[in-house]
Amino acid sequence: MEPLSHQEAADGADPELPPALLPRIGDAAHAGMDEESSAWSVFDISGARGLIARIAAGDMPDGWTRALLDAVRVVDIDDNALRALGPIGGRRRMVGAPVTVYWPAESWPVLAELIFAELADIPGAARTRKIVSSVFNDATVNISTDPAHPDLVFVSVGGGVTDKRSLWSLRASEERYRTLIHHLPWALVLVDSTAMLPIFDELRTAGVTDVGAYLDANPGLPFESRAIVRVTDANRNAVELFGAESADRLIGPVDYLFAASPDTAKRVITAHFDGRRNLTEIMKLRTFDGRLRDVQLSITYPTPPERLDVTLLMFEDVTERLQTEVQLRQLQEEYARAARIATLGELASSIAHEVNQPLAAIAMNAETSLRWLARDEPNLAKVEQLTKRIADSARHASEIVQRIRGMAGRHVPKRTALDLNRVVEEALMFVCHDIEARGIQLGVKLDIGLPRVLGDRVQLQQVVVNLLVNSLQALAGRPHSQIEVTTSGDGFGGVRLSVRDNGPGIAAEDLHRVFEGFFTTKQDGMGIGLAVCQSILAAHGGGISAANQAQGGAFFQVTLPPVTD
Amino acid sequence: MSRPVVIAIVDDDLAVREALCEFLQVEGMAALGFERAAAFLDRASEFDCVISDVRMPEMDGLELQRRLRACGSAMPLIFVTSLADETACAHALRNGAIAWFAKPVADAALLGALRVALGNTGGGA
Repeated sequence: MEPLSHQEAADGADPELPPALLPRIGDAAHAGMDEESSAWSVFDISGARGLIARIAAGDMPDGWTRALLDAVRVVDIDDNALRALGPIGGRRRMVGAPVTVYWPAESWPVLAELIFAELADIPGAARTRKIVSSVFNDATVNISTDPAHPDLVFVSVGGGVTDKRSLWSLRASEERYRTLIHHLPWALVLVDSTAMLPIFDELRTAGVTDVGAYLDANPGLPFESRAIVRVTDANRNAVELFGAESADRLIGPVDYLFAASPDTAKRVITAHFDGRRNLTEIMKLRTFDGRLRDVQLSITYPTPPERLDVTLLMFEDVTERLQTEVQLRQLQEEYARAARIATLGELASSIAHEVNQPLAAIAMNAETSLRWLARDEPNLAKVEQLTKRIADSARHASEIVQRIRGMAGRHVPKRTALDLNRVVEEALMFVCHDIEARGIQLGVKLDIGLPRVLGDRVQLQQVVVNLLVNSLQALAGRPHSQIEVTTSGDGFGGVRLSVRDNGPGIAAEDLHRVFEGFFTTKQDGMGIGLAVCQSILAAHGGGISAANQAQGGAFFQVTLPPVTD
Repeated sequence: MSRPVVIAIVDDDLAVREALCEFLQVEGMAALGFERAAAFLDRASEFDCVISDVRMPEMDGLELQRRLRACGSAMPLIFVTSLADETACAHALRNGAIAWFAKPVADAALLGALRVALGNTGGGA
């Protein structure tokens, strides 16, 4: 027997593969289908005989179509069927597998009924049926047997493409698509999630609307679906990303995709159930050779949603990018900290004054208490009152020290929901006395009821301090100098902070450079204050702008987005 | 009949102001605190002596001293401050301030200065 030219005919010498049976199809092709445009498969039904006998005897259990096809094994397929059913899995992988692994689920009932009709020899039952399938489009499926091979059925699917020219153009277009998919710079995986359809239907019938909550209550579902939803195709980059020896490894249940990120699997199912068109998130991926990678997963769900066979999963390895970002953030924090320490140095006398005030009050109150106690009749009520004040002042001093430590210390930026007004008040502590000492009039107008912003307390304090220091330096030696700090909503749900002064303003030619690192117009300035402000705000998703006021003086404006859930 | 000695405390920091007032009270003197120099100046004639901070918003201690002298008052003035500024200190003393103390001020030193300020009466009515 001359074997048909299989895609993998090159390794046709593999002794495990049964001799090709497909030459027989010439004899079996009697349904008038064009052989060239048909897809042929040969199935071994020996494992399903018991079930067929049961059904023939009138016992038709629920889900028998699937049970039957699970028991039916692939013996051989031709190139067309290989293309249609398991292009990457390959013939070698398909042979011996249950039919359910490769056959499109929406056509399981038709195929099972045909097999049953043929083997149970139901008189009058059709041996040719129409199917509408995601894999075959509108097609006709035909079944036949051969007395010489009682355990085999021959299944041909055809009619989807009837004219040879269109078959060839279809193949050419398929090749183009395949080339495109394989050479895309991202790891691409095609998933057939047809099996989710009945599960989703069941959930909807049961009245489930919030599948996220349902999954939390029934943690089994993601695992179940991960086993029945299948990868049907994968490109070269996917093979490389997963550290697989060949694409074969990637074809099959989607389990391995989410092995390191079970929560992602949950969100994927939820988005699918909710009818979303796509989903993007960063997840951890465990490769076949045991490495853990950070990848960005982008899913494009099928359109229309009924075409569940073509969910597209794209993975981009972002491990290095994330590492670089972490390093960059560390560098930025080092830089910001250096700037903070420099600023603290400049503000040393102001800060010393701030700490010294409560200490002076403590010393004096302690002295006064001792005097009340030394009397013949100690005034204990007074001592109690003064001791409370001592405790308050000590706490106040400690808070100030905490804040200074926060500014000077190394810290990992931490995002919390912050009241910008409070941040401004805290920042003023560092600068207040410098401002007063220079006879600058400070106006503070804080809009109460601002939405909270997500940010790092110390870094945002730093922004406010830098802007204030910038202003007070610009005002040096000028009479009637004023600084005004205001907070307000930005009209887009975010928050705005403005710092204005009546100093000389910013020279027009410098306006575009004020946020550049090491740009300064001051003789002893380092030019890092405003650059740090900008990098801090960029990291917070906010912005900063510099302008001159019409009446003179600089005007800095900071915007920050509100906290979003 | 001489009225009791009343001393004004001018400091923008509440805790410091209160502490000084309490200290003077235990020493038998009446004291009244002012957060702003201007508020004190409005009522300056009511006091026998003023203890003032130097760094304060709106009007600082040296300006307070200048205005006090400008309106002809010879009220004794004692500075208690965290400001380590020798020029300002020299300027204040040259213009007749009784003393210039760094915070926190030693109680004995402050009492000594007050005694000088109040004409060695040792405080009290």
